[in-house]
Amino acid sequence: MLLAALPEPSRLGDVLMAFLSILFEGAPYILIGTVLSGLIAAFLDSRLLDRVLPRSRVLATFMAGFLGLIFPVCECAVVPVIRRLVQKGLPVSCAVTYMLSAPIMNPIVALSTLTAFKEFQKVTGWGEIGNATMTLSRLSLGYLVAVIVGLVVLRFRPADILKANVIEGITAAGKGDGGHAVPMGFNAKLIHAMRTAMGDFLDTAMYFTIGVIITSVFNTQVDQSILNTVAASEWLALPSIMGLAMVLSLCSTSDAFIAAPMAAFSMAAKLAFLVFGPMMDIKLLFMYSAVFKRRVVLALLIGLFILVGCLSEPWMMLIQKLATP
Amino acid sequence: MNGTRTLVHLFSVALLLLWSAVLLYFYLSERVAAYLPPDGIFRPMVLVSGIGLAIVALFNLLTINSEEAGCEEHGCGHDHEHGHKHDGTCGHDHSHDHAHKEGTCGHDHTHEHHAGCGHDHSHGHKHDHAACGHDHSHDHAGHAHEHHHHGHGILEESGWPGRIAAMLVLAAPLTWAALQSPDRYSANAVINKGLYNQNYASTTRADQFTLRGDTAAAPKRAAPNVTPQPAEPLPPPAHLNDPAAVAKAAPPPPDKAQSYGTFTLEDLKKQVPQSKEGNFILEVPEIYYTAGDMEVQKVITGQSVETIAQVLPEKVNNAEGHRLRVFRMLVQCCAADARPYSVPVDFGKKAPEFKDMTWVKVTGKMAYKQEGGQTVPIIEATKVEETTAPADAMIY
Repeated sequence: MLLAALPEPSRLGDVLMAFLSILFEGAPYILIGTVLSGLIAAFLDSRLLDRVLPRSRVLATFMAGFLGLIFPVCECAVVPVIRRLVQKGLPVSCAVTYMLSAPIMNPIVALSTLTAFKEFQKVTGWGEIGNATMTLSRLSLGYLVAVIVGLVVLRFRPADILKANVIEGITAAGKGDGGHAVPMGFNAKLIHAMRTAMGDFLDTAMYFTIGVIITSVFNTQVDQSILNTVAASEWLALPSIMGLAMVLSLCSTSDAFIAAPMAAFSMAAKLAFLVFGPMMDIKLLFMYSAVFKRRVVLALLIGLFILVGCLSEPWMMLIQKLATP
Repeated sequence: MNGTRTLVHLFSVALLLLWSAVLLYFYLSERVAAYLPPDGIFRPMVLVSGIGLAIVALFNLLTINSEEAGCEEHGCGHDHEHGHKHDGTCGHDHSHDHAHKEGTCGHDHTHEHHAGCGHDHSHGHKHDHAACGHDHSHDHAGHAHEHHHHGHGILEESGWPGRIAAMLVLAAPLTWAALQSPDRYSANAVINKGLYNQNYASTTRADQFTLRGDTAAAPKRAAPNVTPQPAEPLPPPAHLNDPAAVAKAAPPPPDKAQSYGTFTLEDLKKQVPQSKEGNFILEVPEIYYTAGDMEVQKVITGQSVETIAQVLPEKVNNAEGHRLRVFRMLVQCCAADARPYSVPVDFGKKAPEFKDMTWVKVTGKMAYKQEGGQTVPIIEATKVEETTAPADAMIY
């Protein structure tokens, strides 16, 4: 059912091919995320979040790191969702922690990491759970980094972090729900949900598209074997594998399958790849800028790079030590 | 709804339908096979999201004139294109002091405020709402600004230049790629993805030898074992399953193949189909992985193998021009992460010439040579002929 004969392969064709494949992989999850965000905008009573969350912001941030276990989403879906949650009164620190941890601290990712690193066979019972070294260290380090960033965010006002149009949402919602929420009909709410979903999808998809274009140019036009020569170096292995994660912009549900066969890199380097990738890559850089101020996105990029880069090596050693008493 | 708002709404619906159409077309035409693996949920998700996008689009199209709830929320805040600044108006209470009337949340805000929709003052003017929270509703009488529409994202919140740019970004690359993607990579991408990168030493996952996923037929292949073979094969201790841990415990020289348990010609025959002529039919990645497995090497050396792959000139260890390089692309989760797995084909004389990327069927005997500190699997060709591409150009 082809429309016409396919064009001959070319440099440009390579980019288009990589572009489409990442788009096909990510678009479904963006849709899920934005429909969810539409439903949140229309149906979630912001007083609910107030009731559920602990009074202490610090405690709430620690809890937000586990939310991915209950609402498992990958990084493409989480961005539109947190924007609405923030506007429904979720503290920004919790939102950032959820955003960073959910693509890692979630059952689907745990499963795919277990599978990719062949750690299923090694865990025969609860006693041997420590043998799933990579899965454990990935989930725990992902959680740790997300909470650290969340706690840093706590020190800032939302206005320092979020884009102006997101901030207004909070102000409006916060005031509006303070007792004068007018009950709306289901149909009207559904229409609101769908309109929000449509707007959010186009918003997210636009930033996603820009990110995927850049990624696919890198992916096909830059010689990646340079990385392998770098992998052997103790100092360059971590930054280079995180650079690779950045450039490849993989989905967190499947990046473990890419990392596992990279024999040239150490386990710690792979850990850095698997923790940094879901939190920051080229497509996310653009998607984040739909929600956060530009310098916040830049700070996230640098901060995460340093944090994950410094923590991966000792963290891997720690988990390995714990696993083999 | 005023004109602009209606127009933006229609454009949004159209963009959603475009994305939906591309996803559905690639799924239904089965072109998606060149992009995503058959197992897992990626391909079905393309269909699901294609349908989902169409539903969201059509729902929004049919309800274009309906009224919307949720005006107590930011979500449908209006977009004021102010010509003035709000600096210093802090202390005002932003919206919501006025009555909320369902349905009147300003689909056609001309000048005055109808109902208490949260205003979405964004883009293009500077004031910090979080810090001060204005009440614009009271100021509005004096302002000569236009209320365009509810803010539902960048298309509705921007001015026309921003809108057009956003629509172009959303529509053009996707359309272009859908029309112009060749569904296969050129030699350039294959080389950039590491074709000539001699990494035969990094085959610690030789247990992937059974690429067909037929582990049931090959129970012995699943259990790497570093120790020299005991009399009977036994499941190795759990901690030896992890190649990295194994490497740590007893680091073998990186250029040496490892022992993965007994392997006999019978095992090979059981696992690998043979052609009429008795050649073992292997895929290039399988041949690649044999280099990391001592027992397999021993058995397979000198055996006739047959493989279908694409060909490019050999650029490593090929001073005499006796070699070609054949490769297959192996995909983990989408075509963007495809990696070439390649082996040299040695003809013992001047290698025949093929156009780059030609599909060939190579028959030859397996040999292993130490080159550049690595064990390189080499097909010593007895026959090579051009052939048609297999149904799946990439191996998933």
